[in-house]
Amino acid sequence: MKSTHTTIPNAPRPRWLSAVGLLGVLAMACTVWLGLWITPPDQVQGNLARLLYIHPPIATVALYWAGGVAAVGSLLYLWPRTRSLFWDRLAASAVEVGALFSALTLVTGSLWGRPVWGVWWTWDARLTSTALLLLLELGYMALRRVPADPTVRARRCAVAALLVAVDVPIVHFSVDWWQTLHQGGTILDPGFHLHVHGSMLWTLLIGFIAFSLIFVWLLGVRYRIEVLQDQVGNQELEVSLADRWSEDTVLAGVGGSSQSPPSGGAP
Amino acid sequence: MWRDALLVAGKDLRIEARSRVALWQVVPFAFLVLLLLSFAIGPDQSPLRHAAPGIFWIAVLFSTVLAVQRSVSIESGEGTRDGLRLSGIDPAGIFLGKAAAVALQLLVLQIVLWAGVTFLFDVRVHVVWLAVVASLLATVGLACAGVLYGALSAGLRVRDTLLPILVLPVLAPVLLAGSKAWEAALDGNAGSGTEWLRILIPFAVIYLVIGVVLYGPLQEAA
Amino acid sequence: MSYVDAGYAISLGALFVYGLGLGLRRRRWERALKVVEVGDAAEPLAPGGRP
Repeated sequence: MKSTHTTIPNAPRPRWLSAVGLLGVLAMACTVWLGLWITPPDQVQGNLARLLYIHPPIATVALYWAGGVAAVGSLLYLWPRTRSLFWDRLAASAVEVGALFSALTLVTGSLWGRPVWGVWWTWDARLTSTALLLLLELGYMALRRVPADPTVRARRCAVAALLVAVDVPIVHFSVDWWQTLHQGGTILDPGFHLHVHGSMLWTLLIGFIAFSLIFVWLLGVRYRIEVLQDQVGNQELEVSLADRWSEDTVLAGVGGSSQSPPSGGAP
Repeated sequence: MWRDALLVAGKDLRIEARSRVALWQVVPFAFLVLLLLSFAIGPDQSPLRHAAPGIFWIAVLFSTVLAVQRSVSIESGEGTRDGLRLSGIDPAGIFLGKAAAVALQLLVLQIVLWAGVTFLFDVRVHVVWLAVVASLLATVGLACAGVLYGALSAGLRVRDTLLPILVLPVLAPVLLAGSKAWEAALDGNAGSGTEWLRILIPFAVIYLVIGVVLYGPLQEAA
Repeated sequence: MSYVDAGYAISLGALFVYGLGLGLRRRRWERALKVVEVGDAAEPLAPGGRP
């Protein structure tokens, strides 16, 4: 009995994904090497500046890459012309990976903030809205785990993801709209003057590339898991359907009525 | 009775381990309460630091309601409660088991929440034993009272809105005593803190005993 | 351990652990799919016949 639900046949793992992962690991190794050893300590912040090679890239991934994919995926799912479970699964994967990056944003930020500001945490607009982002993402993940038909779940989660995405511009503009402890744009300020120079700039750029590649790899693997889970679910359903139908045929053949056999214990 | 309690506790905890509802829903909810109360109290660090114990315990109280609702809903299926009653398991054991499962979840929650409060409000517990004992006692009280009232509201359609109204006023003493005890623990003032333990201890004992005694009859009545 | 070391360790560590976890989950689900598919293929030959 051929399946009618599976969107993708059991394809082997895409080769490009492994390449991305490998490149990402290499870039990450470069970032660590450059960030921890090659680059000089900052004049003002000393060694603490090294955290700034990973904190902004992680934040960028969490906010723009993950948030972006989740938002775009959800919109494309909700719009009838482009509706496909592909977008739903992609958005779900983006939210989950994004939640990890959001959490890491907060952690790396706090580790930087403690020696610089003297506190682990402050309730300024950027930090608070980022914490809110993390909680919204966790809420989405909880919602996704509620058992439901894939299309119902997809629609529910798409709406939820859009609500998560509402927080993204808030986080982005929080440093402009409110008086915050967190600094505004460092690398590219509204005047478009580059502040970071030399080896530091290179390290930062490689850091961005590294974390972005890692994000893509994690997204790809997580997406594939989503697909596999749905496929296994579908196949199991069809196996049990096939079982039930063949039982009916056997019973009918033996001369009994084609009633379904008793289902285990008494109701 | 004790063996039955362990059986029921193990069942509830295993269900939780499979479904991970507490992990994905109750813990984020508790942090959400922290976040919302921080919005309300304002960005200044000082009032937040003073309010930290109260905020912590409010989050725990609300999470208790969620955890209890979850515990009750495990047996909300058709005839599940009757099945449990007919199975011959001592109802007192059921009560103890369910309360133990809820208590364990609340304890784990409190550990995570405590880390969060320390981190977010820049406070530090100076009298650790006081905080720990207060938490343990309070948790026993919360779990016992919660499961008891959960059983009260179990069969009812309006269970979800009824349970908070029923149980939160009952839990108010725990909120008060717990907050004050923790405040003392944060300030380093062990003496005044122990006074509040004198509220938590009878609360826990009373609800433990009432639960063991009344759970059976409650089940019969439901 | 300095704040910087902690930051790098936690970030990279968390990503590594998560990535590893994803890889293992992917393998588990791929194997599950293979098992179910083999069962599916075997069905037409042997009638279910569960009592």
